[in-house]
Amino acid sequence: MNFAFSDDQLALASTVRDVLRDHCPPSAVRTGRDRRPAWAELAGIGLFGLLVPEEYGGLGLGLADAVLALEETGRAALPGPVAETVAAAPALLAGEDDLLTALAAGRTAVSVRIGDQVYVPDADLADLLVLTDGGRPYAVPAAGALLTLQAGVDPVRRLYAVAFEPRAGRPVGGDPLAALRRVTVAVAAQLVGAARHLLATSVGHAGTRRQFGAPVGSFQAVKHQLADVAIAIEFAAPLVYRAALSVDADLPTAARDVSAAKAAAGEAAERAARTALQVHGAIGYTAELDLRLWLARVWSLSAAYGGTAVHRSHLREALLASPAPRRWP
Amino acid sequence: MDLDFTAAEQEFRAEVREWLAGNVPRERLPSMDTRAGFEAHREWERQLAHARLSAVSWPREYGGRAASLIEWLVFEEEYWAAGAPGRVTQNGILLLAPTLFSYGSAAQRDRFLPGMARADHIWAQAWSEPEAGSDLAALTARAEPAGGGWRLHGHKTWSSRASHADWGFGLFRTGPPGERHRGLTYFLFPLAEVEVRPITQLNGAPGFAELRFDGVFVPGDQVLGEPGQGWRIAMATASSERGLTLRSPGRFLATADRLLRLARANDADPVLADEVARAWLDAEAYRLHTYATARRIAAGQEIGSAASMGKVFWSELDVRMHHLALRLLGERGPLSAAAPDAEDDGRWLDGFLFSLAGPIYAGTNEIQRTIIAERVLGLPR
Repeated sequence: MNFAFSDDQLALASTVRDVLRDHCPPSAVRTGRDRRPAWAELAGIGLFGLLVPEEYGGLGLGLADAVLALEETGRAALPGPVAETVAAAPALLAGEDDLLTALAAGRTAVSVRIGDQVYVPDADLADLLVLTDGGRPYAVPAAGALLTLQAGVDPVRRLYAVAFEPRAGRPVGGDPLAALRRVTVAVAAQLVGAARHLLATSVGHAGTRRQFGAPVGSFQAVKHQLADVAIAIEFAAPLVYRAALSVDADLPTAARDVSAAKAAAGEAAERAARTALQVHGAIGYTAELDLRLWLARVWSLSAAYGGTAVHRSHLREALLASPAPRRWP
Repeated sequence: MDLDFTAAEQEFRAEVREWLAGNVPRERLPSMDTRAGFEAHREWERQLAHARLSAVSWPREYGGRAASLIEWLVFEEEYWAAGAPGRVTQNGILLLAPTLFSYGSAAQRDRFLPGMARADHIWAQAWSEPEAGSDLAALTARAEPAGGGWRLHGHKTWSSRASHADWGFGLFRTGPPGERHRGLTYFLFPLAEVEVRPITQLNGAPGFAELRFDGVFVPGDQVLGEPGQGWRIAMATASSERGLTLRSPGRFLATADRLLRLARANDADPVLADEVARAWLDAEAYRLHTYATARRIAAGQEIGSAASMGKVFWSELDVRMHHLALRLLGERGPLSAAAPDAEDDGRWLDGFLFSLAGPIYAGTNEIQRTIIAERVLGLPR
């Protein structure tokens, strides 16, 4: 029993964090969306090939190896279809040699429409879309699809309705269910990362903003709200890490573990967002502060690949309907 | 990163499971807060000790098995899953013993630990005073030097299990009054010489006691650590109490499993079913979190104030699970063990009342949240 990240896993996350600090500061999230900030640098360290088999130039690793790095992309609110490219694309494009090779090399940003998703996130920032149609996945060059923006609260992670001519699409042999599970865990990890950022930003603000002659963070009513955010994150993260292990090993509990991860991470992040806004007060309610980028990202990601209510419903079904559930290990 | 038990861990689990299957009493023991129940629990502890299962993480020389932290967690999972009796020895084995290992002399360890493991001496804590609860540093009970030892004076209260226990441990002021956490000393004392007044708790049994010290003599070798060091040593006990050793995930996993069975048997409506599923997964989250913490401790890291996060989480989860059970039982929820129609021998109601103490003892959850905010997050005092 060793439920702790290895040195390699920690080192990868730390490298991703350094890259994002240098190449994806909040100003780049705000203004640099069109250029997919930091993507070239992340491709350089192999992030997009982590889950691609070695024969295609990838690293052939599992989601458990990538999950902390994905958490960092959430912490930085990195623009672009990161979770989709890192976690979903390798499963969807399985067997497509040319596409996997380009993916591993970091040449292709991929977004997806799988499971019950209706919209494609970041379709305008993707090079390739993998869209399920009648349960079958098709790879469609983004340039060959008709994108209709469904404008929303997140100015960075934009959602698109996508139409494509069947003959513009290439049927691919991957596994949409495996891809859906992986991308759901990846988004859960990003939610944990976003929540960590929101907590740190709120603690920073509460330590410097003075009212009544004292930092607002010295008041217990503020302290206790932030403590509750810390607790929610602390106990959501292990469920996300466990889900990554379960998906990698294709355990019988994988579906349940994925839902538990997404529900807990979504709830923790929504609590972090709600509390962050309250702790910042009126200035937090402005578009001038970078805070809004993370608030919007949490609202956007928590609705993606099954919102909390959907996953809670799966969990209720999994635990209360026959047969009796088992714990693992 | 993995979640795989080693072969040795699995063997240990199998041994513990088999022993418990053959030895856990079929009938629920009477409440340990009654005299008869206390002695019945002592007998059970002796049976455990005979199988070297009362303090598995201790070194062999004191009656343990030198089990690793992970093995101890495995033991706890099996223990509570088997429906085994509550641990009347917990204040000693789980709270005082780690402090004795860190701060006690070799002579003290030799003197106290074997009797603690065999339940010959059952220990009670004596921290709180009428005017010092959450604000423990306000305590005023004092110890005065007296020929080779000390005489204890003052008043302790809300001392769990002290009505029937054999020994107590707690802090007394040996420095000047009003010095807060300075000038406190950690004493070990037999309760036979202390005036003990049982206090009846919410469940109707005398689970608390008030202790009055009227010049009780305590020899110098019953001071734990150095005189004046008491606060630091007590904080070590408190962090054990908040952290892993008092409330391992095993008991919450067992409660969550029972709750799930209750919900399935009672065909819970979707609203309650949703909360049951959430609680079951929260117990799972606490288990996973603890495996990670155990790994960090094994690697030599200090957990420190982060233990407060666990304390808030498990104590509030425990209340939530028991309250849910009572809601599932409807009109039968408030029935006690004495009622013919009580579910599961009244365990749910007893567990509910017991769970309500969780957010209060070992530092109230308000204190814990303040600790988290200041010492984990770094917010200003």
